[in-house]
Amino acid sequence: MRKTVFFATFVNFILIVAAFQLIMPITSWSSQKKNTSVIRGVVASQYGMVSDARVRIAGSKDFTLTDINGRYTLETPLFSSRAIKITAGKDGWFNNSVNALPGNQNANVMLFPIPEKDNPNYRFISPAVCARCHNTLAKYWDKSKMAHTTSNVKVINMFNGTDATGRELSGPGYKIDNPDKDGNCVSCHAPSAAVTKGGAKDIEQALWSPKTEWDGISCDYCHKIRKVTKTSDTPSLFKSHLRRQTPLTGNSILVFGPYDDVVNTVMSASFSPAFDKGSYCAACHSQIKKSDSKEPWNRKQVYTDEEWQGFDIGDDSVIPVQTTYQEWRSWQSNLPADDSNKGKRCQDCHMSWRKEMLPYDNYVIEGHARDMWGTKRDPQNIRPHHFDGGTEIQLKTALSMEIEGQINDNILDVNVFITNTNGGHWIPTGDPMRNVMLILSATDSHGKTLKKIKGEELPTWTGVGKIEEGNYAGLPGKMFSKVLKDKKGNINVPFWKATEVAADTRIRPKTTVKLKYQFKIENPDDEPAAEAKLIYRPFMKSLAKVKKWENNDILITQSAW
Amino acid sequence: MNSKRILIFGLIFLMMTTTHVVASDLLSGIVKAQGLRKPDNILVYLTKTPDQITPPQEAFVLDQNNLTFLPHTLVIPMGSTVAFPNNDKVDHNVFSLSRTKKFNFGSYKPGVSHNVIFDKPGIVELRCDLHSEMISYILVMKNSYFALTDKKGNFSIDVKGLAQGKYTLKTWHEKLTNSKLALELPAAVSQKAIINLKRGAPGVLYK
Ligand code: HEC
Ligand code: HEC
Ligand code: HEC
Ligand code: HEC
Ligand code: HEC
Repeated sequence: MRKTVFFATFVNFILIVAAFQLIMPITSWSSQKKNTSVIRGVVASQYGMVSDARVRIAGSKDFTLTDINGRYTLETPLFSSRAIKITAGKDGWFNNSVNALPGNQNANVMLFPIPEKDNPNYRFISPAVCARCHNTLAKYWDKSKMAHTTSNVKVINMFNGTDATGRELSGPGYKIDNPDKDGNCVSCHAPSAAVTKGGAKDIEQALWSPKTEWDGISCDYCHKIRKVTKTSDTPSLFKSHLRRQTPLTGNSILVFGPYDDVVNTVMSASFSPAFDKGSYCAACHSQIKKSDSKEPWNRKQVYTDEEWQGFDIGDDSVIPVQTTYQEWRSWQSNLPADDSNKGKRCQDCHMSWRKEMLPYDNYVIEGHARDMWGTKRDPQNIRPHHFDGGTEIQLKTALSMEIEGQINDNILDVNVFITNTNGGHWIPTGDPMRNVMLILSATDSHGKTLKKIKGEELPTWTGVGKIEEGNYAGLPGKMFSKVLKDKKGNINVPFWKATEVAADTRIRPKTTVKLKYQFKIENPDDEPAAEAKLIYRPFMKSLAKVKKWENNDILITQSAW
Repeated sequence: MNSKRILIFGLIFLMMTTTHVVASDLLSGIVKAQGLRKPDNILVYLTKTPDQITPPQEAFVLDQNNLTFLPHTLVIPMGSTVAFPNNDKVDHNVFSLSRTKKFNFGSYKPGVSHNVIFDKPGIVELRCDLHSEMISYILVMKNSYFALTDKKGNFSIDVKGLAQGKYTLKTWHEKLTNSKLALELPAAVSQKAIINLKRGAPGVLYK
């Protein structure tokens, strides 16, 4: 059956193209400028001409769009003997190509539609398979937290209430509070299990299921996403639409991706504009909770109307747990069209080149695959999959800090300026467990601490005890975080218990927070000094302690006056 | 706190020979930095001199190549122009949100360059938010009495024309605590400053 369908389409193609040739007989090579030739042709399908298809010479940076009649014109450097590969791609169609030969009459491309239906029985391919050809790419993905989130001990611990050593009833656990529910953690932390018919619905089960399901957020999962749309029935308010099929041709792998010029026997590739958008990440980097209480929480205490509307997550009965996507989107949509930061997407910062990957490579595959099917590309069009986030490399430049002091009689005024320089969202973003702390100290010339008269200090939950052990309660400083609160008034509760956001002091993209402090100087002739540190803490102190998690504070930056 | 540091790690001015004191046009010395791989790129500068400086006509260059800003630390007289060419293979977005000088040209392509004039003294932290490893500093100086240390930590500042008197010699490096020392110029040719620094929070250039 497969063959006959193909044959019928092929006949169609010929008819369509023949008909086209009657109306437009000049589909040929003609030299425009001295050193260029012009290639003309049509992009067609079994249903007729395809407009708005992207046509280019494989690997080149520039492309052209077909017009309403499927016609295109490409100008290329003059070529004499070798054929060049003209490719076409469009959302909803497999990419395809044709070899244009010098002197050939036309270069027409036929497109075939992607499968109409998704297949929930599909078994995802292991990343180990992809790594055979996409070696380097897979290496960096493998080092990212997304790659192994299904087996992330911390996620399991929060799910079933264990600690790092596996001891039960140690600290919060979703299952402790909701023994009869699965928590839907899998929809983000084990997505291949979540979407597979009969797949594990609980994160612990996902871990025990056949390998491809616990491969975290895998290559094949992400590259089976065709588009992402808004919805109301997922915890993120977004849904990734997959199109899973084993392709009809040979053993090739069906993938959606950012390229419209991948045409070879190993991949059945389809260009999808979704990959280049921030919303691609929205189905997981957005998490809300519908409040179980009838009364709306007082969100005006925490967010301005503008911020709340920018989130676009619903009315006051909704509790924003993670709003990374929304923070990014409202930052971007509030920028004027000519702003220098306009158009920066998650992919630009989280899928970019890093020094350890140098020298730049022009290919997204290695070894034999490169020799056989490789397309030479500009490094600018290659997206290394490192997904660095709450890591030292990404955090070191995330914020910057400046400090200034002024002595007025026996008072030392200290101003601290903290800027979100590199974040495309608020900082810290992501899970509400993340904290950033400013720790400020003022001392006299003998090193004695000066008494604070004015200015904020760090809350008790930064830890009571020795400073060297990371306990900062009561020190002059500031906490930047989102604080979730439950019905009983407990703060820093896990998201499933939250009934409101008690505070959200995180720093908005590209903005500076100015903090003012005053210290008392005992000896008016003395020369006091001030020192400030900015520290990232991945989990609240008390939680890390009860869970026995290693909790490595990361020093972002420090500054003295 | 500062003076305590000076007591322990601060500057020790050594008189090597005292017999024939010949006044020098150079103020030279060596910086030792605890916890740094190399004691280079440390700024050594004089304050309490007349704040007077003429920027060069030609622009300084802060290059972008292989995901790195070069040089890592650029010291310039106030009023200077700096060119920011992108000589890499990917787009970069050099910008600053420092209070000394804010600018941002957005992402731009290899082969493109932009100029900025730095009209206020102080520290400018450069970033490229697309590449979190990229960071560098432009230090904008009020006077021309400054130098950067070489790989071995040596520096020498041309102090020709500076009136006899008391000055302060300071240091700056992004990973080291600042230090300062009061000194009298002119110094003898044989005099060398030895500066010991340790890791910690860097301070401002001018209080
Ligand atoms: C979290 C989802 C996600 C995962 C997991 C993922 N990718 Fe991608 N991949 C993307 C996105 C998004 C792009 C396009 C980025 C752009 O163009 O802005 C992309 C692009 C690509 C490309 C095109 C080349 C390039 O560098 O842009 C290839 C090839 C690719 N991915 C292969 C893989 C392989 C192999 C794996 C597993 C080792 C993998 N991907 C895992 C989301 C993902
Ligand atoms: C036998 C080698 C081979 C294997 C195995 C393989 N790929 Fe590919 N893949 C290629 C080649 C060749 C290209 C085209 C590269 C180019 O043109 O630059 C490609 C391109 C892609 C693209 C870009 C498609 C587009 O239109 O944007 C994606 C995405 C991709 N592969 C994902 C995967 C995933 C996911 C797996 C594992 C499930 C995988 N590949 C396994 C060889 C392979
Ligand atoms: C299928 C759901 C899903 C999609 C789609 C997804 N992510 Fe994630 N992402 C996660 C989960 C879950 C984690 C937490 C992993 C962990 O810590 O165990 C995560 C973590 C991260 C981190 C933090 C890593 C760290 O080191 O702290 C970054 C950065 C990130 N994702 C970026 C992206 C970007 C950019 C995209 C879109 C191109 C994306 N993600 C798409 C689910 C997803
Ligand atoms: C302009 C660059 C930029 C853009 C655009 C950007 N990010 Fe980030 N992202 C950063 C930086 C810098 C950090 C480190 C600071 C932090 O952890 O908040 C970060 C951290 C993260 C983290 C880890 C948070 C943590 O501490 O665990 C996640 C997850 C993340 N980003 C996801 C996204 C997603 C999803 C998008 C798009 C909707 C996005 N980012 C857009 C720069 C960017
Ligand atoms: C809507 C998507 C979504 C759902 C549902 C979800 N998470 Fe997450 N979770 C994420 C993302 C995205 C991150 C990464 C954010 C970051 O790095 O800051 C994350 C991070 C975490 C982390 C921190 C991991 C680490 O190593 O830092 C834990 C623990 C966690 N989730 C547990 C759970 C549990 C337990 C459930 C179910 C009760 C759950 N999550 C449901 C999206 C989700």
